[in-house]
Amino acid sequence: MTTTLEIEGLTVAYGGAPVVDGVSLAVPAGSVVALLGANGAGKSSLMRAVMGLVPSTARRLAVDGRDLAGHPPERRADAGLGYVPEGRRVFAGLTVRENIEVAVDGAAGARAARVAEMLELFPDLAAKAGERAWRLSGGQQQMLAIARALARRPSVLLLDEPSLGLAPLIAAAVFARLRAVAESGVAVLLAEQNAARALAIADTAIVLAHGRVALVRPAAGLSADDEALAALLA
Amino acid sequence: MPTVQLLVNALALGAAYALVALGFVLVLNAAGAVNFAHGDMVMLGGVAAVAASTLLAAGGLRLPGIVLVPLVVIVSGLVGLVVAAVGFWPLRDRPPAAMFVATIALAAVFEQSATAFFGPEPRAAPAIWDGPPVIIGGIALGRQPLALILVAGLALAGVYALLERTQIGRSFRAVAQDREMARALGLRATRLIVGAFALAGGLAGLAGALLGHQFFVNAGQGPAYMLKAYIATAIGGWGSVPGALVGALLIALFEMLVSAALSAVWAQALLYLSLLAILLLRPQGLFGEAVGRRA
Repeated sequence: MTTTLEIEGLTVAYGGAPVVDGVSLAVPAGSVVALLGANGAGKSSLMRAVMGLVPSTARRLAVDGRDLAGHPPERRADAGLGYVPEGRRVFAGLTVRENIEVAVDGAAGARAARVAEMLELFPDLAAKAGERAWRLSGGQQQMLAIARALARRPSVLLLDEPSLGLAPLIAAAVFARLRAVAESGVAVLLAEQNAARALAIADTAIVLAHGRVALVRPAAGLSADDEALAALLA
Repeated sequence: MPTVQLLVNALALGAAYALVALGFVLVLNAAGAVNFAHGDMVMLGGVAAVAASTLLAAGGLRLPGIVLVPLVVIVSGLVGLVVAAVGFWPLRDRPPAAMFVATIALAAVFEQSATAFFGPEPRAAPAIWDGPPVIIGGIALGRQPLALILVAGLALAGVYALLERTQIGRSFRAVAQDREMARALGLRATRLIVGAFALAGGLAGLAGALLGHQFFVNAGQGPAYMLKAYIATAIGGWGSVPGALVGALLIALFEMLVSAALSAVWAQALLYLSLLAILLLRPQGLFGEAVGRRA
């Protein structure tokens, strides 16, 4: 399996104190890697650092073999990184259609075709295509945030707490969609508090504790009740 | 029928103020901070119109103001780029207060430079559409206010189409709402913000050229226009584009009616009192967020 996202020795420090400390990981194409950890373990900081939204240092941070360390967020997006942030952060004043189209490059016809593909992939959004994003439910906003990121055809999708604030049924639908996204060949790095839900769709689980990798295990057979895992997530 | 004339004049003034307020709020939303030199960008538009008309007249060419409008807009757009290059670009990663202070300094530079170049006396910009009043339905209406409504209305419609109907406009609105997220989606936020300064400069300069015939142009009038933009934005809601436009129209109507009933001095005094009342009683204005969340 081709490795799409490679991270070596990633460190993020706020005020001199490291919150992500020398983390190395790889996400192969077509797989889901679940990034687990207690509150404050460094999951969101790691995601933001990979996207270039906070200052960080790394020996290597590559997408499809291209080193992106030191590049600004827009260059990283061009290189194939897609980002679904914690809290969704859809553009509330833009319509659903505009939220997707704004992320797509190219001529008007190509953009419209890509928006149509995304609306077909997310039928819940199709019915709301002309509505401003602030009118959507939490689940619909989450779907929109994912559709917006996928519209750019990323090779890596970073998702930060996609189930946060969603009803269980809605969260299950979002996660089923994420598995399908991975199976289409995208490398998915999923930071999630809800370990059971993340493990259900992940190939590999990586647990962060105090900013460091504390555990790496295949997700198959690993339960959220596993003693070692539960101790790290507590 | 003086009431209709009064309303047409108020609409003309409101349309020009709307251009000022629109540029102000576009930069406020894009850069997340107040461009304090905005009023002086209006003044420089008036100076450009007067200077161009004077130079052409010296060469024996007397052109109507409408012909000068594209030139004024281009020059003013370049002024907007200068403000972006000095007041925004070097400070783009600093807190909003840094841009606020830097543009206060730029405003002073613009005002003093205009005084040195232009002199302290007020001068009239060329009329956009000169000639005797037009009679419509038995009512005599001045050509300048009608031209002002038409030109400003076209400019406002053009900006609306740009923002709502184009990918650049969508990108600009995305950057204005969440700059970091827009960058994570590959949008070139800094370029779009610099573009907003150029657009704001063009709109401000156009307003200066349109207002400069009736209200004259002088180097010290920038702060008054800045206050008008600030009040329009406070009335409409800090950051709301439609709010700023409604606010601008309300200011113009207020000034015209109070000037007609009392005097222009009273109109200004009561306008500023109204601003204080709005800030105290309804800081979120008609449509937007409270004043002060962004410097």
